[in-house]
Amino acid sequence: MLDKVEALLERALARGADAAEAYAESGESRRIKVYEQAVEQLTAARRKGIGLRVVVDGGVGYAYSSDVGSDALDEVVEQALGNARVADRDEHAVLPEPPAAYPELSVYDERLAAATDEQKIALALAVERAALAADPRVKLVEDTIYADGEVEVFLASSTGVRGTYRENHCYAFAYALAEQDDQVETGLSFTVGRALADLDPQHCGEEAAERACQLLGATKCRSMKATVVLDPFVAASFFGVVVSALSAEAVQKGRSLFADLVGSEVAGPRLSLLDDGLHPDGLASSPFDGEGTPSQRTPVIEAGTLRGFLHNARTAHKGGCASTGNAARGSYQGIPGVGPTNLILSGENQPLADVIGAIEHGVLVTNAVGVHSGANPVTGEFSVGISGLLIESGRLGAPVREVTLAGDIVGMLKGVVALGDDTRWIPMGSFLVPSVVIEGTSIGGS
Amino acid sequence: MKFDDLDPGLLSATIQRALRHGGDFAEVYVEDRRSLSLALDDGKIERTSGGHDYGAAVRLTVGDRTYHAYTDEVTEADLNAAADAVAAAIGAGVAGSAAELGNLRSEPGLHAVGRPPQAVAIDDKAALLREADETARAYDAAVHQVSASYLEGRQRVLIANSLGDLVADDRTRVRLTVSVVARRDGIIQMGHESRGKSRGFEVIEGSVAADLAGAAAAKAVTMLSAKPAPSGPMAVVLANGFGGVLFHEACGHGLEADAVVKGASIYAGKLGKVIAAPIVTAYDDGTIPGEWGSAAFDDEGIPMQKTMVIDEGRLCSYLNDRLRAGKMKSPPTGNGRRQSFRHVPVPRMRTTYIAPGNATPEDVIAATKHGFYAKSLSGGQVEPASGNFVFGVAEGYLIENGRVTTPLRGATLVGSGIDILKDIDMIAGDFRVKPGMCGKDGQSVPVGTGQSTLRIKRMTVGGTG
Repeated sequence: MLDKVEALLERALARGADAAEAYAESGESRRIKVYEQAVEQLTAARRKGIGLRVVVDGGVGYAYSSDVGSDALDEVVEQALGNARVADRDEHAVLPEPPAAYPELSVYDERLAAATDEQKIALALAVERAALAADPRVKLVEDTIYADGEVEVFLASSTGVRGTYRENHCYAFAYALAEQDDQVETGLSFTVGRALADLDPQHCGEEAAERACQLLGATKCRSMKATVVLDPFVAASFFGVVVSALSAEAVQKGRSLFADLVGSEVAGPRLSLLDDGLHPDGLASSPFDGEGTPSQRTPVIEAGTLRGFLHNARTAHKGGCASTGNAARGSYQGIPGVGPTNLILSGENQPLADVIGAIEHGVLVTNAVGVHSGANPVTGEFSVGISGLLIESGRLGAPVREVTLAGDIVGMLKGVVALGDDTRWIPMGSFLVPSVVIEGTSIGGS
Repeated sequence: MKFDDLDPGLLSATIQRALRHGGDFAEVYVEDRRSLSLALDDGKIERTSGGHDYGAAVRLTVGDRTYHAYTDEVTEADLNAAADAVAAAIGAGVAGSAAELGNLRSEPGLHAVGRPPQAVAIDDKAALLREADETARAYDAAVHQVSASYLEGRQRVLIANSLGDLVADDRTRVRLTVSVVARRDGIIQMGHESRGKSRGFEVIEGSVAADLAGAAAAKAVTMLSAKPAPSGPMAVVLANGFGGVLFHEACGHGLEADAVVKGASIYAGKLGKVIAAPIVTAYDDGTIPGEWGSAAFDDEGIPMQKTMVIDEGRLCSYLNDRLRAGKMKSPPTGNGRRQSFRHVPVPRMRTTYIAPGNATPEDVIAATKHGFYAKSLSGGQVEPASGNFVFGVAEGYLIENGRVTTPLRGATLVGSGIDILKDIDMIAGDFRVKPGMCGKDGQSVPVGTGQSTLRIKRMTVGGTG
């Protein structure tokens, strides 16, 4: 594929591009779904494709193809040039300069490449078995999935960027259904890593079962002002919304509630948020981002104060700063935008039991639905449906469901008073998060 | 080998090769998709991207197991490799049987394309976005940001299977979307409108760009004077069009047979039973000519159909693909859809809607003493197992004494599908369909959501006020 990106680049420049960047990826993946202790679905896939970004008279155009034959490359060049000509002049359309060197980073594990389908199937079966055995109220595990992927990335640009790396990862998850007295509740759990040995199928299955069973018997609670504990799953989805407003792209387009808040206090004094593109265990780690800027560690919130935003080359040029290595590219089909890498939430972590023990009235939130539709990263308004367990006088009590948690995002961030000691990876995005305790939230119930 | 040069003999050989160690059913799915998208943001056209994806998938089912392999090179060697990958998953066994492929079937007239978008100059597409931008900015001084996007796609599929089916479908879709951010006195609100059809460029010509921009701007500006929504149970009137997304999420997903066969849907075991108020009749329909969620065939080569799912309150059908139809011993309903050759078909909705009633929207409002009017929803989520859902309300109002009054912001609607279906007590006749993209199992497919204005007599509103 290296020859393909070089050829694409050369032809784009020969046909009149002022600047160009060629990207290619090639990979393989497996997805195995088991149900009732048998394989339900196995997908074996090979995937590759190329993408070309060109700048012509300041306008940017993009084109891609899964076909990498010589004729297809010509077609991609012509389409990208045509697309660039209709685009308006963008004075910030810059491609990154090549760095002196890329960081040494190991994001490929040979052990995963050597694993067999039989081993992967056995792992998925073990997840399901653990969930079913964990509690008699687990009626079934609707989805038990093992999946892995490996991809090799190639990048070449007219500024002299040349980069390639190989990455792999695997994960399993279970979605368990528990039933009691005609009420059904669901529980999800993941296990992630770069080798089968990194995954913990027993814990994954048991946790999915526990998360479903603990909600059985849930009812609405009364409306109240309360302290909530967002467990790491819910904290990851809440911070997913926060982070979407911390992209410089959102800020520069007037679509971020954080636009004018750099240097201000935006969260409780114990809270720090780091975007870490180099974390050895992070599934979003890579030596360089989607356009060849070296990956780095970017403090976004430090001890409650907003330090800055996530940038790619374009937003950095517009903002008069340096790219933070956050050019995100979903695949060869996508123009690089701005996106987070691994997000790490830290502060003064305290034993979770102590944190809960100190709460007079509250809710341990284990599930939130509608976070992406019910949270508004522009206005900061936030209203989602939650379920979880009541906390009364420092003890976990009855399960609740069909209630709402509402507020505004900065208000909630400022209300963060403690973090638990249960920090873990959550692969919805790539988050390393503990439970997060927030005071003064509104619970809407009956 | 190009899509147009594919030989049925090669597909037939691939099917036999996939079945050589056994299997009940084998299929080859070839897809050729060309897309173009243009996006305008902050007054500038800055994201113009197009591309070509071409690939093939081989699928083999054996009892309850499905094996799937795909490749993005479509040569005899690659198809052989994919067939070998699925055959190897079975190991040794007696070869399965395949019927000889019949004549190629296609239905080119069903969703006819007037102006193929590929034949329209790219500058004309850009002009629509500029028109949307100008119209929205001229609407009100409070309009702060406008973004607009144009999307076109032509997806051609060729499906051959061991039952002897050989089906081609040629699907063109065009969509125009406008989003407006309005800002005044530190308050920010958004408005969003789109039009998308399984048709050509003709569906977004004329005044469409200006109409969408005007409507999106009006929504954003109106919501600037909104007050925080109250919390608690109350009567909720859902407006026509995108209000149907609530039925799609809260009920439609639970009718998709993959969840039903596992007993993972709240609607499992309820066929023939009353699940909704008697005034509720509902359909999932892939046959509406030119509609965004329509196509001539599903992605398993079965003609799409109009499937009645609720007949005057009684559940009368689930939404099947081949695999689940076999398990449930019921005929397929043409709901086997896939995002691309990289995905396996699963039961998916097409255009899902509650059939229109006899009231007028004015009657429904006038009959509501105190309630919440959800004029447009911003999307939502549901757990199919429990039917619990949450929706964000993009544009909402208070209803007082039978009149729509104060705009309300920050509201969500919370409930469970099984409850709200029984609580629908008025349905108007102002039926409309809106286009959307529905995500499930990591796959996104175009669907329509529709309904008339209707009332749910009691539902939980979660607000910040």
